Amino acid sequence: MYVCTPTQTRCKPIILIMRKLLFTLLASVPAMAFSQGFQVNLHGQKQIGMGHTGTGLLQDGASVLFNPGAVAMLPENYVQAGVSPLLFKSAFSPTGSNTQYDVANKIATPFTAYGVWGPKGSNFKFGLGVYTPFGGLTDWGNTWTGKYTLTSLDLKAIFFQPTISYKLTDRVSIGGGFVYNHASVVLKRAIPLASSTGADGEAELNGKGHGFGWNAGVFVKASEKFTVGVNYRSQVTTKVKNGDAIFKVPASVQANFPQPNTFTASLPLPSTTSIGIGYYPHKDWTIAVDASFVNWAVYKSLDFDYANNTATLQDTHSPRNYKNGSVYRVGAEYKASTKWALRAGGGYASTPVQDGYVTPEAPDANRLIFTGGLGYKATKNLNIDASFMYEDVLSRTQTNIETNLAGTFKTNVFIPGISLSYHW
Amino acid sequence: MKNLKTYSYILFAGMVGLASCKPNLVSKSAVSAGSLDLTRYIAVGNSLTAGYADGGLYREGQLNSYPAIIAKQMQSVGGGAFNQPLFTEAQANGSGYLRLTGFNQTTGAPITAPVTTGLAVTGQTTVPTGPLTSTTVTTYTKYTGDINNFGVPGIKLVHATIASYGNLNGFYERLLPGAILSHNTAYLDFVTAKPFTFFTNWLGNNDALNFATTGGVDALTDKATFTAAYTNVIAKLTATGAKGAVATIPDVTTIPFLNTVTPAAILAAAKAANSQVQAIYVSGLVSGTNYQPRVATNQDLIVLTFPTSLIGSTTAGAGTYPYGLHPLNPIENKYVLDAAEVSLAKDYVVSYNASIKAAAAAKGLAVFDANTFLTNLKAKGLVINGVSLNANFISGGIFSLDGVHLTQRGYAIVANEFISAINAQYNSSIPTADVSSFPSVKFP
Repeated sequence: MYVCTPTQTRCKPIILIMRKLLFTLLASVPAMAFSQGFQVNLHGQKQIGMGHTGTGLLQDGASVLFNPGAVAMLPENYVQAGVSPLLFKSAFSPTGSNTQYDVANKIATPFTAYGVWGPKGSNFKFGLGVYTPFGGLTDWGNTWTGKYTLTSLDLKAIFFQPTISYKLTDRVSIGGGFVYNHASVVLKRAIPLASSTGADGEAELNGKGHGFGWNAGVFVKASEKFTVGVNYRSQVTTKVKNGDAIFKVPASVQANFPQPNTFTASLPLPSTTSIGIGYYPHKDWTIAVDASFVNWAVYKSLDFDYANNTATLQDTHSPRNYKNGSVYRVGAEYKASTKWALRAGGGYASTPVQDGYVTPEAPDANRLIFTGGLGYKATKNLNIDASFMYEDVLSRTQTNIETNLAGTFKTNVFIPGISLSYHW
Repeated sequence: MKNLKTYSYILFAGMVGLASCKPNLVSKSAVSAGSLDLTRYIAVGNSLTAGYADGGLYREGQLNSYPAIIAKQMQSVGGGAFNQPLFTEAQANGSGYLRLTGFNQTTGAPITAPVTTGLAVTGQTTVPTGPLTSTTVTTYTKYTGDINNFGVPGIKLVHATIASYGNLNGFYERLLPGAILSHNTAYLDFVTAKPFTFFTNWLGNNDALNFATTGGVDALTDKATFTAAYTNVIAKLTATGAKGAVATIPDVTTIPFLNTVTPAAILAAAKAANSQVQAIYVSGLVSGTNYQPRVATNQDLIVLTFPTSLIGSTTAGAGTYPYGLHPLNPIENKYVLDAAEVSLAKDYVVSYNASIKAAAAAKGLAVFDANTFLTNLKAKGLVINGVSLNANFISGGIFSLDGVHLTQRGYAIVANEFISAINAQYNSSIPTADVSSFPSVKFP
């Protein structure tokens, strides 16, 4: 439109610098929120059945996670594995609208595997835990109103934890483990650059990372009727390096999003401090309470660093400003017979996400937790445990300060689970 | 192990069952028309109301006009059918429009091309406008069905009561029965011929906009004339008890049509071509109709369609001297809304809007203050659902390729602003539309 013909010698093209005008504005570069919703507390079927208590108990090999300090006190050796298929049913309704958007039915599969072994008569026990304490699987699809903030997220973090535990006295044991985290993330978001057919562009961040941490605890048999445990699971800062940053946009604007491109991001998976008490009023009854404090306040901002920047594709710095979160849990187990155990429990978790910071990755709010479980002793050495957890993530209405996405989120989480444990 | 198998079946069946346990956030009682009767909603206005975009009126734009979006939202609270004078699928490109074909590799300037196939154009008619004057009117395939969206591109407020206007505007002509040159139904009479219960009225833009886009060549509608005409239109629209909403006139000097090609950019390019160039000259308004050449400043707005290739030409304009670079051959008035004209346009729009608000207040109508909305958009931008929008050309997301009219996303935002104004005025709760589902400028 504004270009001169070569024959007009006095006239050179008028430079409108359209490329600079273009898209210095997109708030559309993916950024990710980690929230309580990403902390997955499904670490053992017996414990889940009892409201996910266990810091102050001696249940089984899951003590490797719940409290490495308790491992040395375990009466047997264990090999066990469990899975807790998780259905995250989240919905969003924009303010002033009569439309509800639901996430697609996708089932995440948090799992656990523990092994505990110690020489007979020794004060030492060794353990290995493989578990998934952080993750998220959210698929809002590419037609929902918040598609420019997120279309889908698949986050997995697998922790490997070799552990050693030592019984100091008949009443007190300690233990600790080293944590290696292997994480993967696939995050997708629509880009508001329409093709000739009106279809949106798409950004996909696909990366793997790793991090290190530790897990330590103390376990005390205070009396015949009481046991107490204290556990600290450290922050595991996980760095995703050189993940693929894939931008699909119309050809005429692709230069704004250079390809191939990579990104680097750091995800601070926060530390958790727990204290738990076990109470045994009767030989068939176990009552447990746990309190956990999650140091989410470390999560001040989320930064993405792209290898190739343009005026459009800038590194991003998204404030998160989380506050610390806490979880209170209570549970009970009743041994109905020599073969069967019945379990129930519940809890309450406060959200670390302040108003204005809630995002669709895992729309967080205070939540109520209800659990039940069933234990079956199939043989002398084999236990089968089933659990069910329902999380009522309370409805929350707010406007995100970064995206202006305004409306009400409500989430229900349903988590059945089953495990097998072999012990000798 | 048999147990395990049984458990896994139970587990699977359970998950399937749970999948249906989704949260329920929407209740039917949450939306309502309040006391409004939305049985027959009509939309009165100009090109913005018709769904005009990218320099033309075409079917896709019509389908996504803001009245169509409003009507669809109204239908969830008892709104009636909404008919638009759509171009047929075979003639979907209507008047033709601009398409973005790419960007200049060196300058980054957008390249557009007109769509010339699938048009609804039927011909050109010479229409006398006075004893010695005439104008050429492009005509289009007639639309004969029921109409709720009466948006007519090009119409000014002051045209609404001119009986012969159907002969002067092809977009109005196509809605009228009978042949061009025989029309004698004034627009205001035409739109009110059939009973209606609710209306939106966004007339008046062209009374100031045409002045701005022609660099001050087209006359501004006299302030008092505007007031009288607006009051008359509102009186007629409310005469049978219909409720409605009106919109104010945006500051026409904020649109990308007048803010994309700047004197500074022209000067920089001219200097790059010839280092001796000192200044760009424009024909500036002194007073009344007295224009004098002077050096351009950043207060002078150049139209988007200015052919920059004219700069330096010794045959363009007055000739002899390099065009735009010499006081004896300044950039012509039609390409420049100069600083004095900008002030004039702003002043008139302020007056028009006072008239609009007064007329609306007198009848208790809802008001979408488009002027404030666009001024804020220009100054601060707007973030909706994670998308940053502003008043910039192409990149802003709101304005279409003509720099004047809106993208589908822009029209969806306008529809929601109207709905919000209606809900506030009438205690209704008509649900808003999903802005994210409407595209902005389409890129190749």
